[in-house]
Amino acid sequence: MTKYAYFFGCIIPNRYPGIEYAVRWVCGKEGYGLDVKDIKEFSCCPVPGIFYSSDKNTWLLLASRNLVLGQKERREILTVCNGCLTSLLKATEYLKDPKRLGKVNRTLAQIGKKYTGIPRKTEGRRRIMEPVKVRHYVDVMTDDIGLEDIQKHTTRPLNNIRAATHYGCHYLRPTENQTIDDPNDPVKIDKIIEACGATSVDYDDKLDCCGAGGGVRSHVVELANSLTEDKCRNIAAAGADCIVTGCPFCLLQFDNAQKAFTKDGIPVMHVSQLQALAMGIDPISLGFDTHHVSAHSFLRKLRGV
Amino acid sequence: MGEVEKTFLSGLHEKLVEDKVIDESQLEPGFAKEIVEYGGKDVMTCLQCGNCTGVCPISLKIDYKIRSIIKFCQFGLKKFTLGTRWVCATCYRCYEHCPADINPAEVMIALRHMAIREGVIPPFIKVAATNLVKYGQSVKPDLEIEKIRKELELEDVPSRAMEYAKVIREINVLVHAAGYDKLIGIEKEVKA
Repeated sequence: MTKYAYFFGCIIPNRYPGIEYAVRWVCGKEGYGLDVKDIKEFSCCPVPGIFYSSDKNTWLLLASRNLVLGQKERREILTVCNGCLTSLLKATEYLKDPKRLGKVNRTLAQIGKKYTGIPRKTEGRRRIMEPVKVRHYVDVMTDDIGLEDIQKHTTRPLNNIRAATHYGCHYLRPTENQTIDDPNDPVKIDKIIEACGATSVDYDDKLDCCGAGGGVRSHVVELANSLTEDKCRNIAAAGADCIVTGCPFCLLQFDNAQKAFTKDGIPVMHVSQLQALAMGIDPISLGFDTHHVSAHSFLRKLRGV
Repeated sequence: MGEVEKTFLSGLHEKLVEDKVIDESQLEPGFAKEIVEYGGKDVMTCLQCGNCTGVCPISLKIDYKIRSIIKFCQFGLKKFTLGTRWVCATCYRCYEHCPADINPAEVMIALRHMAIREGVIPPFIKVAATNLVKYGQSVKPDLEIEKIRKELELEDVPSRAMEYAKVIREINVLVHAAGYDKLIGIEKEVKA
């Protein structure tokens, strides 16, 4: 059985603890009982929009430090955020270059760490190494657990719920060489939604950016919000009850931006929260009160009121 | 977009120099090379097809045409690339649609590297970097959220744990070794 290590990043623990609860619940003994461990020394991935944008050397050092921790435990890093996925996955690609790897390891030596990758097999005396595996929660759900199992675990099908999927750019295009889904026709989150019994609604410009990435939200929030407004208009036109995403930063953007242009707003949740609901969790554990857009309308519909 | 930029983009840059609308000294021939040094690809191979601008979500909202930026980079007209360095959402759609495989988003990231080195550092970078060396995370812990974590019976956020002091020390060592603290000007109050 594959072994994983949770990588929650910055936004989930510090802004949306309900997502952390949902992920732990879905992966834990109430759910799929995965072999997944906390590595407490993980730091920020670090954020691509800040560190990758301002100094790639620093970004690579900090990302490598996290990778070394996964390497030590011989576990796949289970990210729950598109930003963490792209940052760590890109770092594994950068470290394939021996010159760069040497330079990184010379600095990592100062903190007693070394990135080598994980040994895959031995050929004669040589050990063949492979990069530390970096996975996305959605990818683990559909590929390792499988839609059939998700369907089997759905004890409370969300039959009357219409959900609009937002994938997020770094889910679609994490690096130049690797993808976890078809960037032009992604299906994985939609399939999870359907395995939970809900309907995934199609809407115009579904693959558009939420507007927050690359530091745009922090730098010119109005610009980010106007992109989100377009998306929300299309989602509302499709008659969705909620927005489901695999990225807490997109979630944060939808959740915060809607205040700027609408009174009610469409509730937004992480795919793990939707899954936990379909698996019969008490909604009170999902921390919806930390979301700015109230999930009240959604939960009422779920109860069939 | 100004008249000068418009004419320039129609391909008449020699005429602009001739007419003294732009000064030849403004053209930095080494600019494209500098972009490669910061991890961007060779902008000289750009075909100016415009696919990147066509799919750019930001270009719908403000006067920001990534194709123009690439053209300015080709000729080394740095000053026209200055205003829009931080509006790219790095969605990488331009990369997906670029027939010349240039990855314009990475060019924007290289331009950002240059900006930082010229001392143009947006405040949000400083905030995130300071949070990182202080808490090990780019987002500051929030007391209200920590209360809710307790209610949900989740453990404290990592930065609250005693053992996390070692992590913060390690991060500081790396940040210092890369010279990032100096580059960004992170305040020196952060001894864990």
